[in-house]
Amino acid sequence: MQLSDKNIISDMRTAYGKTLVELGSKDPNIVCVGADTTDSLKTKLFGDKFPNRLYNVGIAEANLVSIAAGLAIAGKVVFASTYAAFLPGRCLDQIRNTICYPFLNVKLVVSHAGLTVGPDGASHQQIEDISTMRTIPNMRVLVPSDSIAVKNLIPLLSYTPGPFFMRLARPSNSNIYEDNFEQFDIGKCNVIRDGSDITLIACGLMVSKAIDAAQTLEKEYAVSCRVIDMYSIKPIDVDLVYHAAVDTGAIVTIEEHSIIGGLGSAVCEVTAENHPVPVNRMGIGDIFGESARETEIESLLSKYGLSSDHIIESVLKSRKRIKK
Amino acid sequence: MALKMRYLELNRKVRDVRMLAIQGIAEAGSGHPGASFSAAEIMGVLYFHKMKHKPSDPLWEGRDYFVNSKAHSAPGFYAALATAGYIDTKEIKTLRKLGSRLQGHPVMYSERQKNHSFPGIEYSGGSEGIGLSVSIGIALAKKRDGQKNRVYTLIGDGESNEGQIWEAAMAASKFKLDNLVAILDRNKIQQDGFTEEIMPLDPVRDKWAAFNWNVVEVNGHKIEQIIDALSRVEKVEDKPSIIIANTTKGKGIKHMANNPQWHGKAPPKKHVPILLEELQSEILIAPSIIAGEPENYEEKVRRAERAGADLIHLDIMDGKFVPTTSFFADTIKHLRKISSIPFDAHLMIEKPINHVKEYIDAGCDIITVHVEACNESEFVKINKMLLKAGISPGIAINPGTKFPSWIIEHLDNIDVMIIMSVNPGFAGQKFIPEALDKMAEVVKTLKSNNYKGFIEADGGIDATTLQQVFDAGARIMVAGNAVYGSPDINSNIIQLRHKANVAIETKLLELATINDMRSDWIKSRKNMLIPLAKELSIEEDLHAIK
Repeated sequence: MQLSDKNIISDMRTAYGKTLVELGSKDPNIVCVGADTTDSLKTKLFGDKFPNRLYNVGIAEANLVSIAAGLAIAGKVVFASTYAAFLPGRCLDQIRNTICYPFLNVKLVVSHAGLTVGPDGASHQQIEDISTMRTIPNMRVLVPSDSIAVKNLIPLLSYTPGPFFMRLARPSNSNIYEDNFEQFDIGKCNVIRDGSDITLIACGLMVSKAIDAAQTLEKEYAVSCRVIDMYSIKPIDVDLVYHAAVDTGAIVTIEEHSIIGGLGSAVCEVTAENHPVPVNRMGIGDIFGESARETEIESLLSKYGLSSDHIIESVLKSRKRIKK
Repeated sequence: MALKMRYLELNRKVRDVRMLAIQGIAEAGSGHPGASFSAAEIMGVLYFHKMKHKPSDPLWEGRDYFVNSKAHSAPGFYAALATAGYIDTKEIKTLRKLGSRLQGHPVMYSERQKNHSFPGIEYSGGSEGIGLSVSIGIALAKKRDGQKNRVYTLIGDGESNEGQIWEAAMAASKFKLDNLVAILDRNKIQQDGFTEEIMPLDPVRDKWAAFNWNVVEVNGHKIEQIIDALSRVEKVEDKPSIIIANTTKGKGIKHMANNPQWHGKAPPKKHVPILLEELQSEILIAPSIIAGEPENYEEKVRRAERAGADLIHLDIMDGKFVPTTSFFADTIKHLRKISSIPFDAHLMIEKPINHVKEYIDAGCDIITVHVEACNESEFVKINKMLLKAGISPGIAINPGTKFPSWIIEHLDNIDVMIIMSVNPGFAGQKFIPEALDKMAEVVKTLKSNNYKGFIEADGGIDATTLQQVFDAGARIMVAGNAVYGSPDINSNIIQLRHKANVAIETKLLELATINDMRSDWIKSRKNMLIPLAKELSIEEDLHAIK
């Protein structure tokens, strides 16, 4: 695994915008639709380069995804983007009936998912999207953990027919992967580090927290953690989850999402059917979040149970549970 | 302007759409007859006349797109696609059944959905208020690529409660989508009741104009008005257009019309034969403008159209084939400018082969020549010219003429047969009763030869004779003095319509009685039969129901 050892900070949205520009130069069929957030989502980079291939429909998410559907019907590869709070938050029906049912070539790439959107508060903290998107037939759900993952996954989205949902986080973060790392595929995951005592399965910004926790657990508690970046939640890598259950006997899932219906649930579905082991689902409990200034984001995550320390605690509890 | 639509054939196909749709709904035991019927003319005009499309090559790149946003009109939509040739008409009977390609609400065709859809369905509907946005996407893509494809979208008035319709309204004008035409099926009824009570939409015209759309309003059951509007909006640049089609929900089946209860209900299967008969019993009233006071023709056309006439009958008399002279092509050319109502030209002239082009150019929609004025080879030449020009061909026969057998060969290319019930030549003649026998006899011959066109009764048709010629098979009624003989044209047409209703109801009642469901039928149509109780002699039946 080529992990980044330098502390390179980058943001997923810029990676998204730049990758779109590259793809757009190669494929004239790619178009973008935005909803008054093209600057924030960085699809404006695409629009600056290809002015007549970015359509801004204003603050109208239902219209956004339905116009995207029409463009796809007419043969375009369409990237539709805005904030996760409103896409899918405000247009589930259109995504279901107008994009997924006819299996249209629409790629929903949204940002500002989870608690880390910060000061805007719970109205803007989308924590149900993985759950809702996962249940719709034909939809695929991706949650990249850094800008390298974004850079590699966006071309896959554009070449693979049919609908996708990809959620990005607002804050910049340290790259997990080396710049030239390219090992990403739909329905796969990356084993970031091997381990034998327990498996941490995380997605998005929580992957780096899992890595931090695993390092501490090894050093201070002599617990060997396997860490998996589960960037493809649907389809999920059933084999790797199964082997994690068989090899390590316990799993902890970590996601910046409700514990209902997201990554944790997806992992439990695999283990329950194939090799039941204890799975501790870490995420946001069945509650809404709250505002926090950007300097307080770590405290916000911690308040809702999403810090490295919480992961360590959870792992140690899980270990005890197995021993009993 | 001439509409080049072969009006009567289009009219007949729309009737076929309604007939297929009601069979499908009855067979399924559920579905939406109301919306299927209010939009039948709109879909008919699009699929049988306006849109560029190829049923044999549904994915042809040059095609125009139809997005059926009010997708609960699915039975009518499937029936239109079947009539256009996308699927076998027999497949309608699988509607809404397990394993059918005709899903309750249509799904866009794709390899993945090949068991639940068929090529020709461009859009997956069912959730209201979305199709217009999807159409914007298609129109944007086509415009960006410099393609000429046009996008037609059918939206509903109930559907217009959805906020997304208005998001789309803003976006389409922002993007200056002059390749997009929305058609609003304004039937004023939604599931819970009347639109203006559930969620008022008026002033709907002003609303769309305020969103910077080009707005045209038409009677959505008048084929010619829809066609005329569609042609006009094509010339508008840098703006999307909407055609507000004022319609009647359930149009075609009287007890369903304007009745919210029939929004989404299937008729009992046993009623189907009677419903099909009703759809085939529609009567077109064709006022003949040479009748009445010799006032100006323009005024007569306008007044008849306002009073709801279906066609304008134009008697062309040359003073040779018949003793009198009326008017010629130049008059028609002039009248054509004032109205889009179909012109039913009846050429009572010698050697029509030499003149028919003048009448084509003048803008007639139906042109009928006399069997007495041409032989078979001349008729064939005339027929070819008419079909090529998109005009409904007709043939007329005088009371004393024997039905020539050569006509049988050409029935597929004859949209109307005028059976004269007077000897042509003068307005205001008395109906010849023997003409009824002749009509019945000709109709019998035609039916046995699978004739699909119309029978037109011409001569002495009024409130006293209408029912007789209807029973003999006539569905187009030329009315001269009965319309223009007294000043109140509006009342005269209403009176004829009333007589037409009585004639139709009598026939349907007979059919119901034969099929042993008289009281059941009267019960289902009670509200509209009550005013006709005396004329239909059903007072006792109605009393028994109470």
